[in-house]
Amino acid sequence: MINRGEERSSPAPGPAHPRPKPGWRHSLQSWVTTVDHKRIGILYGVSAFVFFLIGGVEALLIRLQLARPDNTVVSAETFNALFTMHGTTMVFLAIMPFSAAFFNYLVPLMIGARDVAFPRLNALSYWIFLAGGLLLHASFLAGTPPDAGWFGYANLTSRQFSPTASIDFWILSLQVLGASSMIAAVNFIVTILNLRAPGMTLMRMPLFVWMTLVVQFLVILAFPPVTVGLIFLMFDRFFGARFYDVAAGGDLHLWQHLFWIFGHPEVYILILPAMGIVSEVLPTFAGKPLFGAPVVIYSGILIGFFGFGVWSHHMFAAGMGPVADAAFSMATMIIAIPTGVKIFNWLATLWGGAIRATTALHFAVGMIGLFTIGGLSGIMHASPPVDLQQTDTYFVVAHLHYVLIGGSLFGLFAGAYYWWPKITGRLLDERLGRWQFWVLFAGFNLAFFPQHYLGAMGMPRRIFTYPAETGWGFWNLVSSIGAFGIAFGVLLFLINAVRSLGRGAPASADPWDGRTLEWRTSSPPPVHNFDAIPTVYGRDTFWREKYGPRREPRAPAPPDPHGVHVPPPSVWPVVTALGVGGAAAGALIHVAVVVGGGLLAVYGVFRFALEHHEHHAHEHQTGTLGVDHRKAAMWTFIGSECLLFGTLIATYMAYRGRSVVGPYPRDVLAVPITTISTFDLLMSSLLMVLALAAVQRGDRVQTRLWLAGTAFCGLIFLGFQAYEFTSFVHEGLTLQQNLFGSTFFVLTGFHGAHVTLGVLWLLALLVLDLRGRLHARDAIKVEIAGLYWHFVDIVWIVIFTLVYLIP
Amino acid sequence: MSEPGQGTVGTYVMVAIVLTLITALEVGVIYIRQLAPIIVPLLLVMAAAKFALVALFFMHLRYDGRVLSSLFVGPLVVAVGLAVALMTLTGAFLVFDR
Repeated sequence: MINRGEERSSPAPGPAHPRPKPGWRHSLQSWVTTVDHKRIGILYGVSAFVFFLIGGVEALLIRLQLARPDNTVVSAETFNALFTMHGTTMVFLAIMPFSAAFFNYLVPLMIGARDVAFPRLNALSYWIFLAGGLLLHASFLAGTPPDAGWFGYANLTSRQFSPTASIDFWILSLQVLGASSMIAAVNFIVTILNLRAPGMTLMRMPLFVWMTLVVQFLVILAFPPVTVGLIFLMFDRFFGARFYDVAAGGDLHLWQHLFWIFGHPEVYILILPAMGIVSEVLPTFAGKPLFGAPVVIYSGILIGFFGFGVWSHHMFAAGMGPVADAAFSMATMIIAIPTGVKIFNWLATLWGGAIRATTALHFAVGMIGLFTIGGLSGIMHASPPVDLQQTDTYFVVAHLHYVLIGGSLFGLFAGAYYWWPKITGRLLDERLGRWQFWVLFAGFNLAFFPQHYLGAMGMPRRIFTYPAETGWGFWNLVSSIGAFGIAFGVLLFLINAVRSLGRGAPASADPWDGRTLEWRTSSPPPVHNFDAIPTVYGRDTFWREKYGPRREPRAPAPPDPHGVHVPPPSVWPVVTALGVGGAAAGALIHVAVVVGGGLLAVYGVFRFALEHHEHHAHEHQTGTLGVDHRKAAMWTFIGSECLLFGTLIATYMAYRGRSVVGPYPRDVLAVPITTISTFDLLMSSLLMVLALAAVQRGDRVQTRLWLAGTAFCGLIFLGFQAYEFTSFVHEGLTLQQNLFGSTFFVLTGFHGAHVTLGVLWLLALLVLDLRGRLHARDAIKVEIAGLYWHFVDIVWIVIFTLVYLIP
Repeated sequence: MSEPGQGTVGTYVMVAIVLTLITALEVGVIYIRQLAPIIVPLLLVMAAAKFALVALFFMHLRYDGRVLSSLFVGPLVVAVGLAVALMTLTGAFLVFDR
């Protein structure tokens, strides 16, 4: 018997499966309110597949238009929208969520956990993702789909050159999608670090889990810069700020930097999960451990790390100068080394193995070959002189598709065939699967290999047609035929999936003779994943259990005194996501809708936070690291915030002295007044830490006193900021006036927004305390609020010095 | 009185006093003309000291495990690196000729 949100005193449960009540309403409600990582994984997978089909149709229309010279299937404007939506959809709404589907379904199973660290946050990230995807596609209904490319280069995106709401849809939906990715990333980092089964050290984790961990770190580090870039663009378009206004001294390269600081790690966010999948599939079907597994892990980490030092190779044609070009060229070439290491280790895993040529193995091997081709052309782009010839040609289109289809998509299909039986309890048809592989493989190479030639012949990308005299017609026709081959391959998968769900052969718990923990439980797994949390003996622990040297079986982990706790369903994630999506959509409708959506989101967050406040199962969430999940999550979030404020501050510094009209900083900044507000904020940190000490020792009077004092100090700081803002406006400094105004108000305004959020959080804790619901056992809740508050304080320490004090 | 592995109230008050003194120093030095040649590094060092004091004592990094420190310090290093690179590449200060 499984408990949903209630305590059990009995030992571990048997393998019972809860029997759902009949009726579509109950079924729909159970999916909408689910917090089960497996169901959320399925939701991600199905949603991603639908968006993948939409992006695929867009690609087919592009290829139809380009199949012949001077073709008129679509207009130039429609073509712009098609390639913009195709790129945005495939990156953010198809490949990323496909990977998220695997993270969600498999990571808890592979590390021997019952769920993720924060199941309701997991549901929230899915529903926010769906809201972002729907908002982006609502642009079609509004008749204004985004049309400035998936990279949205400034100033194509400025109000002057894109006056309709098309770019607004793009900006808002990407920010919503970014919020979803950030929430999921924090969740998975904490899950992987803190929820591992006994004995599962970091180096014993499966490769897929390792690559998931690296990807989540890339997300929390790479998304903030582009979020800041999008915020600047939003302020330019909605409020008349000057971030990307050349006439006001703005630098268009700023957008390119912010976008590619995100954009290049994003490539690894898309490819590393596929590399993780291949690293699981190959050992299973070669009957051998992964060759040099630690080196493959380190290579994945190095790829992620170097991924942050190569972004400007996308900007060689922008004129950064020889030193910057040389630095980014070298960094890009270096990143090929760990990538090459992985490829050789995969080949060595196959070498001498007892190969079982399943469909999953076909896709995994196909991924290695095709990704290698894409990687080799990538190294060519690392050389600035070569890159200058290839920039904005079809050669680059071929390269990126070899990486993202040949690499990511083939890897994801390998994963789909490998884990389908685990997820559905049924096998896919292997014969049809191999047909699909060969059709997809042939179609893909037919579609994209000729594009290398087209690029070398000088065909620019993003042109909607071309004259016959160019000689590009034949290879374009071949490429278009190949694109329809890809579509046929995807159709075969769809047929296979539907047939399997209807009448596929039942799958055993371990149909492939697997090596990792997910194969240790039934197919599909029970709601609680494992009847008893397994103990891990080493890497490939399940294989060791089955075939390893005989050893005394270790005692299973002692049963939880509270029994098995399975988180109960919750409606608040979907309500909160509705508020977030509504607020974003409201920006295109009316400010009242923004306010309404925002209030709904805030209400949802409060109900979300208080839903299980009194539940004993939520008192102690200490995990593998000996740290509470919530504390680890807050530190992870703060790490991400470092990037957000780092980018805001760097932009302020980059634009210092570039304003072409006044008022200038020396005209308006008042150090004495700001010193008082700085002192006030520093003292609030003291009160905060005193509040924590008070709650820990159960002193309720002092807890109230210090919490109220901290919130009051925060309000005083906000009062100073309001006074400063209004006095600046009276002196002629506005958001629209000059670059100083834009950067100053956005930087300090975002800090003020954080202070406001902190005050609300403190007041909520104070209300809990006044109602007698904040006890010593809840000290962790005060501690994480305190961490946030202190972080806001240290950000101000930096702002005070760089903005106010440095001349 | 404090939780195991955390500072005492006395420690927190002492840190707050030091933070106040450094802030007063920061504001004071900007009015001393003789310090103009070194004012920027001086202010940066003082800001770094305040930053470290809050992080180590108020945020308890001094008492918490290395993993939590890594979750903060790692991204902080990346953030500083990216910020410096961004400022360099956008010409906020010239490290090399463009």
